Amino acid sequence: MRVLRGRLVAYGLGAALIGVGGAGLLRDAAETDPAGWLVWFAGAALVHDLLLVPAVLGVALLTGRLPAPYRGPVRVSLVLAASVSAVALPMVLGLGRRAGDSSRLPQAYGAHLAVVLGLIGLAGAVAVTVRATARRRRPARTARTRCRCPGRWRRACRSRPSCRCR
Amino acid sequence: MLRRPDPARLITAIGRFSSRERDERDERTAAWLGVALGVSFTVAFTTGLISHFMQHPPGWAVWPSRPAGLYRLTQGVHVIGGLATIPLLLAKLWTVYPRLWRWPPVRSAGHALERALVFPLVGGALFQLVTGLFNIAYFYPFPFFFTTAHYWTAYIVYGALVVHVANEWAKVRGLRPRRAGAGARPAGPSRRGFLATVAGACGLVGLTTVGETFTPLGGLALLAPRRPGVGPQRLPVNKTAAAAGVRPDPAWRLAVTGDVARELSLPLADLRAMPRHVVRLPIACVEGWSAEATWAGVRLRDVLHAAGAGAGARVRVESLEAGGRYRASEVDPPHWHDGLTLLALDLNGEPLSPDHGYPCRLIAPDRPGVLQTKWIARLVVRGS
Ligand code: HEM
Repeated sequence: MRVLRGRLVAYGLGAALIGVGGAGLLRDAAETDPAGWLVWFAGAALVHDLLLVPAVLGVALLTGRLPAPYRGPVRVSLVLAASVSAVALPMVLGLGRRAGDSSRLPQAYGAHLAVVLGLIGLAGAVAVTVRATARRRRPARTARTRCRCPGRWRRACRSRPSCRCR
Repeated sequence: MLRRPDPARLITAIGRFSSRERDERDERTAAWLGVALGVSFTVAFTTGLISHFMQHPPGWAVWPSRPAGLYRLTQGVHVIGGLATIPLLLAKLWTVYPRLWRWPPVRSAGHALERALVFPLVGGALFQLVTGLFNIAYFYPFPFFFTTAHYWTAYIVYGALVVHVANEWAKVRGLRPRRAGAGARPAGPSRRGFLATVAGACGLVGLTTVGETFTPLGGLALLAPRRPGVGPQRLPVNKTAAAAGVRPDPAWRLAVTGDVARELSLPLADLRAMPRHVVRLPIACVEGWSAEATWAGVRLRDVLHAAGAGAGARVRVESLEAGGRYRASEVDPPHWHDGLTLLALDLNGEPLSPDHGYPCRLIAPDRPGVLQTKWIARLVVRGS
C-alpha cells in the first residue's frame, strides 16, 4: 500500500514536471522554436540509437577478436579516449572562436587532445605489456612445448579457443 | 595479434548481447549507473535552478550576497559535473541498449506507457548534455536560444527521471548488500571493471576541464574552453567592448536617478576622489568558468547613500551598451549593502581595460558574471 502510494506520488510529480517543461517551451516559443527543438530532442536519441551505438558495437566486436588478455586494456583505453574526444571535439573544431576575443577558446585544443590521447595510449600499452610479460612467464613453468597444432608454440595457440592442444 | 574473424563467435557475441543471461548481469550494472545518473541529474537540476533564479529572482525572495563564492561553486559543479556525466550517460544507455530491441516491443498498455516515457528521458538527457557542451564551446548550430530551451527541457528530463526511478526503484533496492548466504551475488570482475572504466572516463573528463573554475588545477584545464589567467589584464572576457559597440568617452559621467533624494552626475574624477576599496572577487560565468581578480573602486552603497537612496531600494544598473539581453541588471538590498560590492574602476592594479568595462563596472559577491554589468552609464533606484 505504502509503496503504491509512493509510486503514485512520483508519477504525479513527474507528470507535473513534464507538463511545466512542455508548457514553458510552448509559451516561450519565440525563443525555443518548438519544431527545431523537437528535431534536436528526437534527433539526439536517433543519432545515439541508430548511429553511435551500432558504431561502438562494431568496435566492440572488432576488439573482441583480440586475445583475451589484451582485450581489456585496449577496450578501456578506447572508452577513455572516446570520452575525452567527445567532450573536446567542439573545442578542437573551434567554431566558437571570435575575432577580437583572444580569451575565448584560447588553447591549442588539437595538440592538447593529442597529448591526453597519447597518455591514454601509453597507459594502455603499459598494461598490455605487463599482461604479455606475465603470460610469457607463466607458460615457462610448463616448458615451452610445441603443441600439436603444426608449427605453433603453445602460448600462441592459447589465444585460439578452437585449438584443442590444451 | 588479431585473430581471423570467426563467424561462429561473432554470432555468439551478438546472441549474448541480447540473451537473458546478459540481461540479468547487466541489470545490476545498469542499476548502479542509474543511481549515479540520478545523483548527477539531481545536482544538475538543482544547481541549474539556482542559476536561473539568481538571474530571474521571483518577486518574493532575494538572494543573500554571501558566501561570496557560492555561485562560482554551484555553476562550476553544474557545468563540470555535466561534462563528466557525458560518459556516464553513454555507459548507461550502452548497458540497456538491447532492451530497445526486445521482443515483443510492448506487453501491455502499462508497459507501452512506461516505454513511451523512456523517450523523453533519453532524448532529454542527451539534449541537455549536447546543448550544454555546445553552449560552453560557443557553438550554436541549433535554431533555439540555448538558455530558454535548456531551462524548460530540464523540467521534462527531470520529470521523466522521477517516473523512471519510481518504476525501477525495486532494482535499486536490490543493490543493497545482502547478508552472506541470503542470495548475495558478488560483483563479477567484468562488472566491476566496466564500472571502474566508466568512473575513470568521468574522472578524466572532469580532470581536464575543472581547472577552468578551480584555479589550483588550472594547469590541467587542457580541454576547457577557458583558462583562468588568459585574457586582457589576466582575466577572461565574455563580451568585448567592440562586440558591445561601446567606445571610451572622455565626457563620461555616472548618473544616479530614480527614487533618490538627490540625483547625481559624477565624472570619473569625482568617483576616484571617493573612498577607495580593494576587494578580491571572482567573475563566475554562467558557462561554468570562473577566475578571481583584484578589483578597486567605490562601494556601491557609498554612492547610493550619497544620493539618499532608501535602505530597501532596488537598483537597476544600466550599461552604455545599446542593446542585448544583459545590458542592465538589478541589484537587491543584500547585495548593494554588502561592502564587497563595488563600482570597480581598477582591475589587477590598472584602470579597467575597455573589454572589462572601462570606465566603470559592477563587481559583487555571489553573482553570475552576466549580472556584473560593464560600461555602467546609470544607476536607477526604485523603491525605498
Ligand atoms: C554537459 C552538461 C551540461 C552543461 C555543460 C550545462 C550547461 C549549462 C549552462 C552554461 C547554463 C547557464 C545558461 C545561462 O544562464 O546562460 C545552464 C543552465 C541550466 N542547466 Fe545546464 N548544463 C548541463 C546539463 C544539465 C542537466 C542534465 C540539467 C537538468 C537536469 C540542466 C539544467 C539546467 C538548468 C535548469 C539551467 C538554468 C537555465 C536558466 O538559467 O534558465 N543542465 N546549464
